Amino acid sequence: MPTFAASSHLLNPTLTHSLSSRRRFPSSSQNPKPLTSLKCHLSSSSSSSSPSDPPTSDCLSVKPLNPSPLLDSIPKSLASAAAAASFAILLRFSPIGGGGGGGGNGFGGGGGGGGGDGSGGGFWERLFSSPAAIADEQQNPEWDSHGLPANIVVQLNKLSGFKKYKLSEILFFDRRRWTTVGTEDSFFEMVSLRPGGIYTKAQLQKELETLATCGMFEKVDMEGKTKPDGTLSLTISFTESTWQSADKFRCINVGLMPQTKPIEMDPDMTDKEKLEYYRSQEKDYRRRIDRARPCMLPMSVHREILQMLRDQGKVSARLLQKIRDRVQKWYHDEGYACAQVVNFGNLNTKEVVCEVVEGDITQLVIQFQDKLGNVVEGNTQTPVIRRELPKQLRQSHVFNIEAGKQALRNINSLALFSNIEVNPRPDEKNEGGIIVEIKLKELEQKQAEVSTEWSIVPGRGGRPTLASLQPGGTVSFEHRNIKGLNRSILGSVTTSNFFNPQDDLAFKLEYVHPYLDGVTNPRNRTLRASCFNSRKLSPVFTGGPGVDEVPPIWVDRAGLKANITENFTRQSKFTYGLVMEEVTTRDESSHISPYGQRVLPSGGISADGPPTTLSGTGIDRLAFLQANITRDNTKYVNGAIVGQRNVFQLDQGLGIGSNFPFFNRHQLTCTGFIQLKQVEEGAGKPPPPVLVLHGHYGGCVGDLPSYDAFTLGGPYSVRGYNMGELGAARNILELAAELRIPVKNTHMYVFAEHGNDLGSSKLVKGNPTEVYRRMGHGSSYGLGAKFGLVRAEYAVDHNSGTGSLFLRFGERF
Amino acid sequence: MASQLIREWVGIQQFPASTQTKLLDLLGKLKHENVSTLTILVMGKGGVGKSSTVNSIIGERVVAVSAFQSEGPRPVMISRSRAGFTLNIIDTPGLIEGGYVNDQTLEIIKRFLLDRTIDILLYVDRLDAYRVDNLDKQVIKAITDSFGKEIWRRALVVLTHAQLSPPDGLEYDLFFYKRSEALMKIVKLGARIRKQDTWGSSVPVVLVENSGRCNKNEDDEKILPDGTAWIPNLVKKMTDVALNGSKAILVDKKLIEGPNPNRRWKEFIPLIFALQYFFIIKPIQGAIKSDIAKEARPSWELRDVGAASRKF
Repeated sequence: MPTFAASSHLLNPTLTHSLSSRRRFPSSSQNPKPLTSLKCHLSSSSSSSSPSDPPTSDCLSVKPLNPSPLLDSIPKSLASAAAAASFAILLRFSPIGGGGGGGGNGFGGGGGGGGGDGSGGGFWERLFSSPAAIADEQQNPEWDSHGLPANIVVQLNKLSGFKKYKLSEILFFDRRRWTTVGTEDSFFEMVSLRPGGIYTKAQLQKELETLATCGMFEKVDMEGKTKPDGTLSLTISFTESTWQSADKFRCINVGLMPQTKPIEMDPDMTDKEKLEYYRSQEKDYRRRIDRARPCMLPMSVHREILQMLRDQGKVSARLLQKIRDRVQKWYHDEGYACAQVVNFGNLNTKEVVCEVVEGDITQLVIQFQDKLGNVVEGNTQTPVIRRELPKQLRQSHVFNIEAGKQALRNINSLALFSNIEVNPRPDEKNEGGIIVEIKLKELEQKQAEVSTEWSIVPGRGGRPTLASLQPGGTVSFEHRNIKGLNRSILGSVTTSNFFNPQDDLAFKLEYVHPYLDGVTNPRNRTLRASCFNSRKLSPVFTGGPGVDEVPPIWVDRAGLKANITENFTRQSKFTYGLVMEEVTTRDESSHISPYGQRVLPSGGISADGPPTTLSGTGIDRLAFLQANITRDNTKYVNGAIVGQRNVFQLDQGLGIGSNFPFFNRHQLTCTGFIQLKQVEEGAGKPPPPVLVLHGHYGGCVGDLPSYDAFTLGGPYSVRGYNMGELGAARNILELAAELRIPVKNTHMYVFAEHGNDLGSSKLVKGNPTEVYRRMGHGSSYGLGAKFGLVRAEYAVDHNSGTGSLFLRFGERF
Repeated sequence: MASQLIREWVGIQQFPASTQTKLLDLLGKLKHENVSTLTILVMGKGGVGKSSTVNSIIGERVVAVSAFQSEGPRPVMISRSRAGFTLNIIDTPGLIEGGYVNDQTLEIIKRFLLDRTIDILLYVDRLDAYRVDNLDKQVIKAITDSFGKEIWRRALVVLTHAQLSPPDGLEYDLFFYKRSEALMKIVKLGARIRKQDTWGSSVPVVLVENSGRCNKNEDDEKILPDGTAWIPNLVKKMTDVALNGSKAILVDKKLIEGPNPNRRWKEFIPLIFALQYFFIIKPIQGAIKSDIAKEARPSWELRDVGAASRKF
């Protein structure tokens, strides 16, 4: 009489992430990304549920002892995915009972004997009677001596029911091969007993019963051998179940299929009735196979298994175990964490049918939680989250852990949630189905922050003085996720001196409006409007080599900006918008200066240098269109960046503003990261050597104020020179090549760079290049090494032939 | 400076009679060609004898000469008229300061010359300097950049301190030849005179000796070691250049400031914008699209329930 053991398998991936909720607003115009702290811990819980029906002799149970290989591998890979913080993977799986077995064709334990012609369970069950269950009872470390003479063999039923026996060793004895098999044998994992463990007679008997009913063995016995130290040496002798050899293999997807309930077999059936019964069972099974959906298992694995079948001859329990492991391994390797082999059917025919539940998603649930974990109604509109989910996570797809990770990363990049969990759980209503739960904890919508800092400025003689202590700081506020559509307003004011904020005041107010085309539209355009100011030292007014200090010119910009960004991919985007700004040029003492200054050989300063502004008054107001298109298909190969990046930036003057500025200022940057050697990808593998080729052209037609002139020289132009040391021109061309060679886990590089004004320095009004005695062109070469974020490089300036050592942060390209 | 009174050229009477005749002859020739004004611009490095040469030509001590100090930071125009003919000589300060061309001085000179016509440029250097260097080139380049290449068609190279004994027993003529050759080479280089410009080689080189110890001939004329009286010679060469058919250089705002670079190609901006849109932005967008199509997707993304092919 076939009955079905319910087994359960617990595996629950919970993706949790924590994100630092504090944001800082530095005075720079760029808004930093929130810091994300990463943590990873694994809580693997395996719980056992006792079978709802005790397994009978008609069913086979395969009991993998250790489900954790999957659990181990997933958190590792997720940790490297870097998106999220703490992971607890728990996948609960309510088992599929398995269909009715075919009569003669099904395989059956047949009461442990029967050679397969028995009543035919026709299925395998996975059963988890976990070692933890027994381990609970090991809390008492005391054990009893067997109290018998040493070296005698004791049958299991001869042991005392009141004693706790300690097993010093466990041996397996294969009766068919007549040898003792080692612990590396695949059967060993089916036994929950462990050497050194303490067990009662009842436990041992239960274990024996489990083994006997699991279907792997035709016959199992246990006997103990007394040891002089009072412990027992346990020998498990077994005869493996075998079936007819098979030359076909088929894998079917039985997920979401209703389970066929077996018809009770009347023990009083006549032979004819029995035959009839078996026939109908067989027919049922055929129908079941035909109805089953195709499964994803690729041809290569199919072939591999066929080979295994062919090599083996007879289908043995060990072989089926191996097949199961192989099939499951493929699924788990591919990220189908919920997939499992639930049954083998059609044994004792020429074909082995492997029934797989792949883990079809029946439902996707998005849930918001408050700080205490209670389910609440969220502020965020669900389409905002839905559009971030890969379609593989939607209903009727097969759950894949990679899709889950992708969803996690995408949702994380919204920066709206402090905690994100992507959690597959079994669907009670649909057997073999998975409900994907996305649990989110929202961040506070409104936030305000005041941070202060004291800066100690070196006074006379380099010593900090009290008078130079200045209280500075930042006041910022943020209103996030307005209307639940991820719109936000943020503002900040930064000053280095609260007593005199007019000296140095940076402010920024920004409104971000994503999903301009509607939240359900796949087109991803974001509107940004901001009000900004900035203050920068102009590299145009910089001296060439050998020129003493050139009085600096500060360029203050304040204005409004509105642009639309369309994201094509994570890295490629197109931004276009309008900028209206007021540019003021000031000298060191903050006086507006319409002309650059220069130091005369006599030591005096004359203010008749190149004009700083278009209007000639020191203040320009202008409006222009700004567009920027970035194509970036770079990716990381073992930590080395490889690919191509092209950026075209255009400022198109509209003739609106002081002196009706009409201009077309354009820049094209092309950077190629060429991988010089094919390498195997994977964590810990060495990165390939990379050749970086870089070209940058900048040009301007029309009105060109000096603050918009292109400057040559500097860490992002031509290394080895100071910012603007080579010149300021109307058209420039920069070329660079860098060869990166991996050394241990970082890289060394050699580079050569050249910058040229293409003779266009004189096309800038006042010719600042010549006035400050700069060359207008220059090359450099050098070498360096990267240490984390810091680059240390030695660059030789080709104009003077002298080299110098630089320490820089970040990347050049 | 235009308001400055044009004085009678009295200095001419101090010249020996034969010089006077020759000069008046030349002036008459100029008048004959309908040239009644001659504006001469004198330029060169500091301390080469620009002011002395001016004084010598005028025959008066019109500009203060100091052996050690550069003459004053401003250009000076001396105008003299004689028999309806006006001679303007513009003396300029030395262009070199601290090893570089002093842009400021150049700027002052240019502003001084605004709206004037230059008939003759006298580029002054010393004969007894043995070497030409980068500085000479820079000075010539600065002059060319300021007034255009054409000014060299109206130029004379004047070598002062002509009365010298060449070193190492070189022949005077050979020394003069070598020196002028070297200088002309640098002039051609600095002025970017191409080989095709045949007039380039016709820039005359004139010797001058301003010293009071200058040898004189029987007519009391100041003469060079080769016996020519240099003042009439210089004026004659100037006359030749003035009459060589090239155009005088009118210094206007455009010449001083150069063409306004902000105006260049300005009318093409709409066209450039359109070209950028169609030939840069559009192709980049296309490249992005092909990137998206080519992007390597993980196998789980491609493999879908429907996509899985069932093979046995």
